[in-house]
Amino acid sequence: MVSISDVFSIVVFPGAIFIVFYALYCNWLSRKTVARLQNRRGPMHTGYAGMLQPFADIVKLLAKEDITPGAANKTLFSAAPVAIFTLALAAVFLIPIQSITSLYSYTPIASFEGDLIIVLLIFSLIVLSVFLAGWSSANIFGAVGATRVALMTLAYEIPLVLLTIGPAIMAGSLSINNIVAWEVGSVQSFIAAPTIWGLMLGVVMFIGFAICILSLLAETEMRPFDMAEAETEIVHGWQVEFSGKKLALLTLGRDIKIVLASALLTSLFLGGPAGPILPPIVWFILKTTFCVLILSNLSALFARFRIDVMLRWAWQYLVPLAVLQVMAIVALSGVI
Amino acid sequence: MDMSGTEFSIPIGPQHPALKEPASFLFKVDGEVVVDVEPRVGYNHRGIEKAMEARTYIQNLYLTERVCGICSNAHQTLYAMNVEEVAGIIIPPRAKYLRTFVHELERIHSHLLWVGVAAHEIGFDTLFYYVWRDREIVLDILEEISGNRVNYAWNAIGGVRRDIPSDKIPKFQKALDILAERTKYYTKVATTEATIANRASGVGYCSKSDMIRLCGCGPHARASGVNKDTRRDNPYLAYDEIPFNVITAESGDVLGNVVVRVGELVESVGIAKYVLDHLPDGPIREKFNPLQKVPEGEATNMIEAQRGEDIHYLCSKGDNKPYRYKMRAPTLANIPSLILKLKGGYIADIPIVLAGIDPCFSCTDRMVFVDESKDNPWDMTSEELRKYGIRWYSNGLNK
Repeated sequence: MVSISDVFSIVVFPGAIFIVFYALYCNWLSRKTVARLQNRRGPMHTGYAGMLQPFADIVKLLAKEDITPGAANKTLFSAAPVAIFTLALAAVFLIPIQSITSLYSYTPIASFEGDLIIVLLIFSLIVLSVFLAGWSSANIFGAVGATRVALMTLAYEIPLVLLTIGPAIMAGSLSINNIVAWEVGSVQSFIAAPTIWGLMLGVVMFIGFAICILSLLAETEMRPFDMAEAETEIVHGWQVEFSGKKLALLTLGRDIKIVLASALLTSLFLGGPAGPILPPIVWFILKTTFCVLILSNLSALFARFRIDVMLRWAWQYLVPLAVLQVMAIVALSGVI
Repeated sequence: MDMSGTEFSIPIGPQHPALKEPASFLFKVDGEVVVDVEPRVGYNHRGIEKAMEARTYIQNLYLTERVCGICSNAHQTLYAMNVEEVAGIIIPPRAKYLRTFVHELERIHSHLLWVGVAAHEIGFDTLFYYVWRDREIVLDILEEISGNRVNYAWNAIGGVRRDIPSDKIPKFQKALDILAERTKYYTKVATTEATIANRASGVGYCSKSDMIRLCGCGPHARASGVNKDTRRDNPYLAYDEIPFNVITAESGDVLGNVVVRVGELVESVGIAKYVLDHLPDGPIREKFNPLQKVPEGEATNMIEAQRGEDIHYLCSKGDNKPYRYKMRAPTLANIPSLILKLKGGYIADIPIVLAGIDPCFSCTDRMVFVDESKDNPWDMTSEELRKYGIRWYSNGLNK
């Protein structure tokens, strides 16, 4: 039996509507940060400091003409944006944000043993949808973008999966909620009785955080890993033929993916929405904002990588580092 | 679009975000590697040369300025030099220095623009915004002395149109000092930043011998180690009196292009400062009447525009209008070596290699008609042209 509070938490808070608006806020935050770093002002006019600009963009796109190319595979072409949007949204349901029944609890909308794997699966499914979106649009730039998306997966998926193993081993669970609980517990015990091993674990987890943020930067197709939609090279790549409602869904899906990435980072490495005094939702917003700031900062700092350079770089540095990190965690888990 | 097999073709242009002007390049690609390139220019032919034959020398002064948006002053200066040579006018020394000043400021603004565009092409928008903000300094100077940011209308036949007030000179000196400082910073960024080196080093290589064989010019050729610069080799205006270095790079790739252009920025700032310090006194122009006739004669001059060697030819039959005027913009000379640079590279490198020559296709587009089957292969009557057009579009010759 589904209760009203369940429906409310799925549809309104902390479910779909909250996540969509939070994604728009993150979009604004990222745009504004990048703009200020680039000596520009960014969105200014819609709402306070342009905060409503992403929302206005979505509304504008919804009103625009929706064109499907004649040569496109119509079913796939229409299904892909919906799939990308819903998959990203569904994954956020598995991440602890805030429980609506009690102020200081943060059980996710859906939580079960193995939901971490579901989140990773959803990441891969999004990549598959993106590939199909590019491929089905029957455009040469779309096809090149689609192949680049598939190639990029080879670079960042493996380090990403490896990095989730560490927290999972330590927590002894594949549930994100349990991992968060373990983090809170271990931080509390570390503060109560600091040990050298606890400190080392913290250092190893920090390295994991750093590599994970790079993998997620690639996952969310932010600069310097935006070669799949590189405007100057392949004219927005796999997105090139999308317009109107479909483009609005793609934009929203991308924003939600950024929220998902920062929420996953928060849950795996920063203790999720837990924190002293303030309710979980506030901590969630503070921590994910911090992650979005790091992501935007990195994306303003570098020139776009070339796809072959990125693959080589990922396999030369990211993967070995991720393996080492897992090995260090396994060694430490024997000590602690 | 043929997608069978591993090779397929990607059209870049006539409209493409990497090209600021219409030109078409058809790339044959195998995976991410470019196998062959088929260039086609001529999308923006405006008939300027023909239009010049119907206008007086003074009117043409403003038409030549509109050949190009960025090297407007270079084309205009060259035109004025040609007319003065045929008309036998020797311009006053102050005019020479003032022309040099604006010529160099234009080079600074063009090179800064190029650095920004190049950064944008490799997906480094942060550098793009920084450079373009600093470009405002030189645009402000230009606006202050001429009233315009890009089309300065600076030259008159026989000199320049305006003078620089002496009380403004310290202000310009200061602005140029800031610019010199910023340029040094960009030199550091461009040569040490790892992500730029990643994208630019070894990309779009052309050896020195190939560059000489394919007649490249300007910074594009100097990036391959070809040590030639019209300002030094064939001095015009005041360049024989001004000390400056010709910057070359040996690497022959996009990084070489960046190094040469950033180095030239430093030199140009130096030249501009030297001109302000050594500005001679005297009149700024010789008289040239609006309808004055120019004696019979021909003149060909070269100028080192920002993008390379710009060549203009003037033929006068003693009228107040030119009989024939011919221009060759530097981009045309750089296209053969560009094609060489593009082959064997990656799709991801196409925009930056294309942008590497600082292309300006609109200036390049001239029309030449050759039909070897006819007795007179160079001529075509308007009726023939009309028939040719009908044939072109109905028989699918344009495909």
